[in-house]
Amino acid sequence: MDLPSGTRNYTYAQDMAIFRTKTQWALLAALMVFLFTAPLYWGNYWLGVANLIGITIIAVTGLNILTGYCGQLSIGHAGFIAVGAYTAAVLTNRFELPFLIGLISAGLTAGVVGMIFGIPSLRVKGFYLAISTIAAQFIILWVINHWSSLTGGFTGISVPPASIGGISFVSQGSQFYLIMIITVLVIFFAKNLARTRPGRAFVAIRDNDLAAQVMGINLFRYKLIAFFIGCFLAGIAGSLLAHWVGFMSGEHFTLMDSILYIGMIIIGGAGTTLGPIFGVIFIRMLQQGITFISPVMEQTFALPAGFTTGIGPMVFGLAIVLFLILEPRGLAHRWALFKASYRLWPFSY
Amino acid sequence: MNLKKPLKMAVVVGMALIIAIVPLVSGGCAGDGGKVKVGFSICYTGPAAEKGRPMGDGKLDCIKYINEEMGGVAGHQIEVIWRDNGYDAAKAPTIVNELMAKDCLLFTTCSSGMMTASMEIANRAEFPGFAVFSAPALTHPPQHIYGQMPDYGDDWAAFAEYYLENIWQGTGKPKMAMHLLNNSTGYGARDASKALADELGIEIVATEEHTPTTISEIESLTRVKALEPDILYISSTPQPTSIIVKNAVELGLYPGITIGCGHASFTSALVELAGDDVTEGVYGVFPTVNWGDNVPAMDKMTEYCQKYHPDDYGNMDYITCWAEGLIVAEILRLAIENVGVDNLTPQAVEEYGFKKLNNFDAGGLHGPVTYSPGDNRLSKSVRVFQVQSGEITPVSDWVEAPLIKYEDFDWFGR
Repeated sequence: MDLPSGTRNYTYAQDMAIFRTKTQWALLAALMVFLFTAPLYWGNYWLGVANLIGITIIAVTGLNILTGYCGQLSIGHAGFIAVGAYTAAVLTNRFELPFLIGLISAGLTAGVVGMIFGIPSLRVKGFYLAISTIAAQFIILWVINHWSSLTGGFTGISVPPASIGGISFVSQGSQFYLIMIITVLVIFFAKNLARTRPGRAFVAIRDNDLAAQVMGINLFRYKLIAFFIGCFLAGIAGSLLAHWVGFMSGEHFTLMDSILYIGMIIIGGAGTTLGPIFGVIFIRMLQQGITFISPVMEQTFALPAGFTTGIGPMVFGLAIVLFLILEPRGLAHRWALFKASYRLWPFSY
Repeated sequence: MNLKKPLKMAVVVGMALIIAIVPLVSGGCAGDGGKVKVGFSICYTGPAAEKGRPMGDGKLDCIKYINEEMGGVAGHQIEVIWRDNGYDAAKAPTIVNELMAKDCLLFTTCSSGMMTASMEIANRAEFPGFAVFSAPALTHPPQHIYGQMPDYGDDWAAFAEYYLENIWQGTGKPKMAMHLLNNSTGYGARDASKALADELGIEIVATEEHTPTTISEIESLTRVKALEPDILYISSTPQPTSIIVKNAVELGLYPGITIGCGHASFTSALVELAGDDVTEGVYGVFPTVNWGDNVPAMDKMTEYCQKYHPDDYGNMDYITCWAEGLIVAEILRLAIENVGVDNLTPQAVEEYGFKKLNNFDAGGLHGPVTYSPGDNRLSKSVRVFQVQSGEITPVSDWVEAPLIKYEDFDWFGR
């Protein structure tokens, strides 16, 4: 990693530290203060948006481990999120188990289901694997919609608010704390995972699986581990989504969502820890911005009701296309360039 | 040069700006000039846009009419905050949060799907709302979400009763095959059939399922044909229903049996998509009157539709949402009358608006609107229509759909 001028590592611990300068620690502290005081000055709407962003970051971080680091393209991620959501819903609603048990079980169940659908990854890769993960999306949703005695089927299932030790997370503000803490932990986990033996194995498999195998990496084992971890995080996100929305139906987990998650890691920067954060914030804020455009334009220009609604999808599509053309390596790369230029400023090299 | 200083300055200024601006952007906007705020979550775009667009046009045109020609409600203009949900379940919760944060007194959605994604957040906050088209799960058990019209299960019950009384001439139980959209629209009808088929004396011989994007149902209809049903009941939206009806004609299944449709599909769009000749004789239930019927609200609604959205003329979804606008106004009028505009809160609007609705006539556009304790369906009546010479023609008077206590059945999902 590039270091600011004058910053040197004298020990292995220093070399491995994520935060090493006072500025970085100060920024981290400022971010934490900002996040933990946010409910004081954000309204319910922005807290709701932040909650959705947090949940999506967890899910997309899982996908980033699977696709960005390990190179296993999955277009069924919404299906794995659904597994987690319904596991949590069934355990907390039908069996009245505590939220934390539901949360962990959601992750484990989604992880195991992900491993099952990851088995073909030993034989197929690229587009072929993508097609097999699309099958996961359809099979999982079919089972959820038709196992109505357990899942509520098409009618759906209520999910009680999350609660830990008598503290119930009902308001958007309280849910914000819960979701943000888990999101921070997940990001920390993902950052560290990338620097562990499995993390390096994932990258080796992504870059050249034959070479990785020659080096002694057990492809099947590490691919399945990637599927488990990626889908475990999807399950955690699903559980949080279920408790946040309060009612689950299959309509929350569409193929479009799965494709959108892929778009998020591409826009944010696949194979980086910051990528999912940037990608999710970009896409979710763009979505929110677009919902404002139509009413504001119609009020401003006195247009007939509904006249401008086509603008939203057009702006959304255009933004993504332009972004892919102008910054194909993602926002994380742009951020790295910004940091590098800041370190060198005012010199160009 | 010390580069850390500008960074620190930038961070401090950035944080200060965020802290200063965010509350301004996100904070509630209290009604000014005595306006009363309502929120509409509309699926103008996305997979349900074929229905969402005329519905959104209808409700916004109606509020425009109420504000401009009626002087608002009890002298107060209605301020609408509407958002396009794109029929995206991830967007729906953030929209309902925004509507609450912006001090709306109630909210509405066009579809049961979007209300499903919003309702628990609204229920927890006791923020009342209603869906124009609703499924049993929204109002069973009754909480703070209401259905403007009978739900998809009520459609089935009303059509089944009409069929038995007016069409069925055989002996024993008529055999019914059901073709259901794979969501709450389809399975709402299935739930009603599970609850009432035996009681009414109808044998359900097949339950087939289709997707919103189906392009052929030849295979499923071949299975249905082998079972020799007397009725094919379709609970879906116009596009897939048109495919099913066309395929039924191609297979020689129809004519020869009765086809009945739920209200989500039985609009002019179905006839346009499938063709006059193919849909001739198809029955359907719908909870509103038809275009051109002699009811008090028809002239003004037609005037606005032709002036602002001529493409929507003939689409019954526009009617349902014009009626929605009238109901929203009546709820607000009742609440203002009972507690005064200064004391309006979402809870007061529910208690003194929604729950005081009693035989409100929505310009004759649909059945009377009444709140009954324990029954969150505001209007409970549908009419049976039939496609005759390419026109959707009423063949029955208002039929009141019975309240089905779904929550009493073990199999009911919630």
